[in-house]
Amino acid sequence: MNPPLLRLEGIAKTFPNGTIALRGVDLDVERGTVHGLLGANGAGKSTLIRILSGALAASAGRILWHGAPVQWHSPAEANLGGVATIHQHIPLVPTLSVIENVFLGRGGAWRRAPADRERFARLLESVGYVIDPDGLVGDLPIGKRQMVAVLQALGGGAELIVMDEPTASLATEEREIVYATVRRLTRQEGKAILFVSHFLDEVMALTDCVTVLRDGTAVLRARTAEIDAMRIAEAIVGRAVTAIARQQDLAHTVTGPTLLAVRDLASPGRLAPTTLDLHAGEVVGVAGFLGSGRSELLHAIFGADSDATGTVTLDGRPVPRSTDGAVRAGLALVPEDRMGQGLVPGFELWRNVSLPHLRSAALFGVLPRHDEELRRGREAIVRLGIKAPSAEVLVTELSGGNAQKVTVAKWLFGEARVFLLDEPTAGIDVGAKADILALVRDLAARGCGVLIVSSDFEELLAVSDRILVMRQGRVVAERRAAETSEHELVLLATASPESVDDNPRAGLGAG
Amino acid sequence: MRAEHAAPGAWRRAFGLRDAGVYYALLLLVLVLAVATAATGRPSYLNPVNLANILYQSSLIGIMGIAMTVILITGNFDLSVASVAALAAAVLISVAGLIGFWPGVVVALLVAAAVGALNGAIVQYIGINAFIVTLGTLTAIRGLVLIVTDGRSLSVDNTDVIAQMSQFEGGRIAAHMPMLALGAALIVIAGVMLVMRRGSRMGSFGIGAWGIGLAVAGTLAGPRVRIANPVLYMAAFALITWFVLRFTTIGRRVYAVGGNPEAARLSGINVNRYRMAGFLLSSLAAGFAGVLFACRLAAINPTALQGAELTVIASAILGGTSLLGGAGSVVKTVIGALLLFTLNNGFNILNMGANYQGVIEGTVVVAAAAIYTVGSRRRPGH
Repeated sequence: MNPPLLRLEGIAKTFPNGTIALRGVDLDVERGTVHGLLGANGAGKSTLIRILSGALAASAGRILWHGAPVQWHSPAEANLGGVATIHQHIPLVPTLSVIENVFLGRGGAWRRAPADRERFARLLESVGYVIDPDGLVGDLPIGKRQMVAVLQALGGGAELIVMDEPTASLATEEREIVYATVRRLTRQEGKAILFVSHFLDEVMALTDCVTVLRDGTAVLRARTAEIDAMRIAEAIVGRAVTAIARQQDLAHTVTGPTLLAVRDLASPGRLAPTTLDLHAGEVVGVAGFLGSGRSELLHAIFGADSDATGTVTLDGRPVPRSTDGAVRAGLALVPEDRMGQGLVPGFELWRNVSLPHLRSAALFGVLPRHDEELRRGREAIVRLGIKAPSAEVLVTELSGGNAQKVTVAKWLFGEARVFLLDEPTAGIDVGAKADILALVRDLAARGCGVLIVSSDFEELLAVSDRILVMRQGRVVAERRAAETSEHELVLLATASPESVDDNPRAGLGAG
Repeated sequence: MRAEHAAPGAWRRAFGLRDAGVYYALLLLVLVLAVATAATGRPSYLNPVNLANILYQSSLIGIMGIAMTVILITGNFDLSVASVAALAAAVLISVAGLIGFWPGVVVALLVAAAVGALNGAIVQYIGINAFIVTLGTLTAIRGLVLIVTDGRSLSVDNTDVIAQMSQFEGGRIAAHMPMLALGAALIVIAGVMLVMRRGSRMGSFGIGAWGIGLAVAGTLAGPRVRIANPVLYMAAFALITWFVLRFTTIGRRVYAVGGNPEAARLSGINVNRYRMAGFLLSSLAAGFAGVLFACRLAAINPTALQGAELTVIASAILGGTSLLGGAGSVVKTVIGALLLFTLNNGFNILNMGANYQGVIEGTVVVAAAAIYTVGSRRRPGH
């Protein structure tokens, strides 16, 4: 029997800061097949892809290519070897033409070699796709860019193509193009494809084998034909032990009066009209994967999306459609990208903590009181268990989980009554996670309302009273936390739009 | 026990090249010039008249530099300041004879503010890069100056107005009283900060040191040394701006807006408003500098102040202001302006060829920027 095209044996990765991303993963990819790779955020998919594409070195294990061990030190080496990776954020040069992008890695002195045209034509023929070689990539819709990236991968003569969530940002018809290309490449060209996706239905339809990663381990390896979506969902979710115990005593059915009322909130291209209520003392989870519109929903509520239409009221009073108005009205947003959106990198911990409610820490509302600000910084450290030598530490010197706690702590010293938390526990360790989730319940117990977004559905089930499921910019389902399961949530969040018949108007029924 | 007040690293940083380099550079330069003048038997460089003269020469650039620092902290950029100053000067000269001096000043400042509002609106609400927008207004406003002046030198004929102008710009007052007063004020602020634990202890000492330094200098200068009004205006503007940036919520937000605009916005700060205010301040300061410039000669020629925007920006960079926003200090910008004019003045006094001046000045700016970049990228200024 021939060796598989690619075989990974016991690939492990421990980062210098001690994070263990992979704990020994085995994976075989055969010629002419599509191999699905699945897993929740943080399961180790990206690390595995980066090791495979030569961008990262594995801490242990080996890569067998055509049956022989190889070691790639850079993406360029992996490319030469025959592995091309199409990343989720497609790194094309928008100011160059399609053909220039496709042959970007080609050597030679001339910008336009006549031979390129011929090669490009042959390439298009082999894929069965038509595109203007001289069009600027920057002018293309995202689906066509995805195709340019595929052509680029093939232009280098790749035998194995790694596609990292190629359809996450695509419309239905654009997805079809990608599916058709994947099928043609494997069935007719004999290429192998490692297909990473969050969408179970496309994995079921497209792949020959699947591997599911969880916590850095391959927990499921199977032929797609021999299993069903439910089984994959189970494997993704697992029965992983976490520090978050389901708070049964808090799974109350009665909550306070309506605190936040969102009516027909919409944003063109980002968010379909959404209506929901959040009650005092209630935690509402938003379940959805990347690109499902979950962050867009929070930003629109917070007034951070200037294109948004619709109304948001807090205690019956309209919330102004600007971030400063929202903060004054009593809203708080913890954004997903903590360094990019949550913290000022040049500021110390205390300066970041006091920023949103600076006025209340200032003499006459104008002169910030240093002692009060430091006190807030120290209180944040104590209250959230932030591991920092002092409140004077720069936030850039904190680890991810501790920096994340600062983005939450910012909002604890003012009159915020509605907390919009966007992936507050992504990429942080279990202990920090538990601290933040305990705080969420604590806030609800004090009569605040919390809207929490997470890709970790287990965590949502543990902390929420009610869960909204989002997909493709709209709320597609609503469940009481006590009456649903992770499997159901994963299925709801990953199914194609057509396959979900259950589509209630979110938030109107329950509460 | 207050560990965060006495972190040893903080002291080292405060006296390091990154944070204090511009002071060292100025001291070193003054020292070199003092030795050089003494060695070559020229009149002492350190005589008070010469020092007061350097202050006077750098005042207009200093005023524009202070506002430039603020706009740089907010993460924007203003290349149009010199043109705006020239326009304000031309407007004042044109209208002062007709409507009087003070109304003329108001009109000139309004015109300057209008340019700032235009710059800010295009940058913030249309979303074009500030460098490009103000490069455009730099040229366009200079063109407007040519239109207003019709390409010729303009001057004021009305003798009353000329008298008012020379009183506003040319007045001199004995230096020691204001310097003593300012020094005392700073010492009081430092004392209050220490007692009330407002700000770090190091910061209080720094302010106290400034206060003592000014008081000592004022005493040494005595009543004989007189400083020009523009220097007073610059000092007052620097003091107010420093106070606002250092002690108020507005200042904190200005740094936050430049440090991470998205985080500032999502923390409920109206980023557009703060950045608009930065443009307005920059143009108003430029307008005021233009008014002073017009008063100096009661005349304006259409190429006045051409290229001065580069000196203004160089001052801010010498003072350690980041072009990326979020960091900068107005006091150090003023020191940066003094450094540039001290260099200039030294060349004149030593009779060295003006030909070398540009090369040396340029080298100093790049060297300073290199020190700041290599030194550290960590702290916002205050």
